[in-house]
Amino acid sequence: MRIAYYPGCVAQESGKELDLATRWVCRALGIELVEFPNFSCCGSGFVDEANEVLNVAINARNLAIAERANLDLLTVCSTCQGMLSLANLRLGDPAVKGRVDGALKPLGIEYRGTTKVKHLLRVLTEDIGLAAVKQKVVRPLAGMKVGAFYGCHLLRPADELRWESGEEPHAFEDLLAAVGAEPVYYRGRVLCCGFPIQFVKPETAGRIAARQIDDAKAHGADAMATPCPLCHISLDSFQNQAAKVAGHPLDLPVFHLPQVVGLALGASPEEMGLARHLVPTGPALAKVPGLARS
Amino acid sequence: MSETIDAQFDVYRFDPAKDARPHYATYRLALPAHTPVLSALLQIRAETDPSLTLRYSCRSAICGSCAMQVNSKSRLACETQIGPEMERHGRIVVEPMRNQAVLRDLVVDQSPFWRQYQQIAPHLILDPTRPMPEGRETPMTPEQVDRFKETPRCIACAACYSACPAVEADPAFPGPMALAKLYRFVVDPRDTATQDRLVRIQTEGLWLCLRCHLCTEACPKDVRPSERIRDLKELAIGAQGGTENGSRHAIGFKENIREGGLLNELKLVRQTSGVGGMVAQLPQGLRIWRKKPEITKKPPRIEGADEVEKIYEALDRPKEGS
Repeated sequence: MRIAYYPGCVAQESGKELDLATRWVCRALGIELVEFPNFSCCGSGFVDEANEVLNVAINARNLAIAERANLDLLTVCSTCQGMLSLANLRLGDPAVKGRVDGALKPLGIEYRGTTKVKHLLRVLTEDIGLAAVKQKVVRPLAGMKVGAFYGCHLLRPADELRWESGEEPHAFEDLLAAVGAEPVYYRGRVLCCGFPIQFVKPETAGRIAARQIDDAKAHGADAMATPCPLCHISLDSFQNQAAKVAGHPLDLPVFHLPQVVGLALGASPEEMGLARHLVPTGPALAKVPGLARS
Repeated sequence: MSETIDAQFDVYRFDPAKDARPHYATYRLALPAHTPVLSALLQIRAETDPSLTLRYSCRSAICGSCAMQVNSKSRLACETQIGPEMERHGRIVVEPMRNQAVLRDLVVDQSPFWRQYQQIAPHLILDPTRPMPEGRETPMTPEQVDRFKETPRCIACAACYSACPAVEADPAFPGPMALAKLYRFVVDPRDTATQDRLVRIQTEGLWLCLRCHLCTEACPKDVRPSERIRDLKELAIGAQGGTENGSRHAIGFKENIREGGLLNELKLVRQTSGVGGMVAQLPQGLRIWRKKPEITKKPPRIEGADEVEKIYEALDRPKEGS
């Protein structure tokens, strides 16, 4: 399949390993990524807080870019997914559409609303299909217990995103099982990572991140995996600060979603950029026979 | 008639006068699939265990008394049917709401929830020098009414408060219900304290909302608290600009994207925290930089960055309350 690749800011910057892993996995599964050098940031929820209509308009521009090429759009970030889908939804309101068109039309940009926004998780589980993913697995991640961590904006508000249940999703766990890992179910998997208030009140953000990490660990997880690079920042890059707030060590590796798939499809830890993580992934890899030494 | 099913209820029981710790009591009942959880609990109390303690009143999703956790989700017991719960979970775990201390069984102490509500001054603040119009009524346009069409539906059941991870993590957060109610007064054209309300809430927890939308999922009345909180944030910025970390971050992010289309991560830290804040975050920044040196790199200017700039020119205007 061909799809417009919307990497989002973090995967092009500090979360480069997510971009590496995405490209590797898409190549392995025959997903052709069409790139556009004119995509802007989705606003990450923060621009939406400052100015809702402006945020819809910059995303209408992003959507129109893919639409002009007759392509659906692939995201690899729960927040990008949420912001772009919400733009599609809010543009259904004629009053919003009118204001946005007023800004876009003079620039020769037309938004029609035909481009679907799909996160990689959805493309892998629905378009490619779990059976096809499973068929390509050369190194099942047997022995590794992984706690999926969804990221809010992939799931909620569920009635607007119209995909998985916001309360009881299972696509990520199904995918983990397809690549041979053992999914771990815990309450925190659908909760917040704390990222949105990392710069507002770091102690509270840390307490929230620690809560979810502790929850995953209490249910036996060897690692967490997330479809959102912002959750990854909170859970991995700032895990040391979460541990400080919690008052006990956390030491839980956190993978990006395509890294877990890539490892099972035969990628090396180097190809997945695992050395770029703040929390070493070695202890989790050691659970899978043949992986730690590869 | 819906079919009769064998339902298993695992009910949280705790009497602080007698129990050292909470436990779960299991009850099995054969009931029609459409039976509300509340009716089943009342049947358990009537037929099996008269000590089972719970709050309820109207049984019609109007009074908001019977909010509790059913299979870990905060909802009204009176409008949650047992059939779908049994189908999805194989049993029905009934627990008191979260984020509030348990008084006994399914009854929680709601005083913090109500205190937060009182804090936002949940009543119209009128200007005593301004006479009420003829007939003591204030005409409103449909557009004005439209701005607070959702919030009057709130029945103060506290399901949102129970579901909120910010409430769980930080007592300084007023909670979704109090903020949704605050929004209702901020956009009411009769209220004269709009500016004061917006200025106060910036320092009283508004920016601790995680916009996780769990409140909107939990709300039985579709008040959509997370969206009302978003509206409040934009109005607070319009009223006062960036006075707190949260508003500075939102404004800084908006300006950041305007310049080249992509996020400049390092610059954002300066925009939110200032130079002093950057220094404080230096050790953590260095720790991350060693693994991810891109954090100090300026991202490329996207093609068509001038289009983004023009969109800002057309739409970047502050929003106003009532």
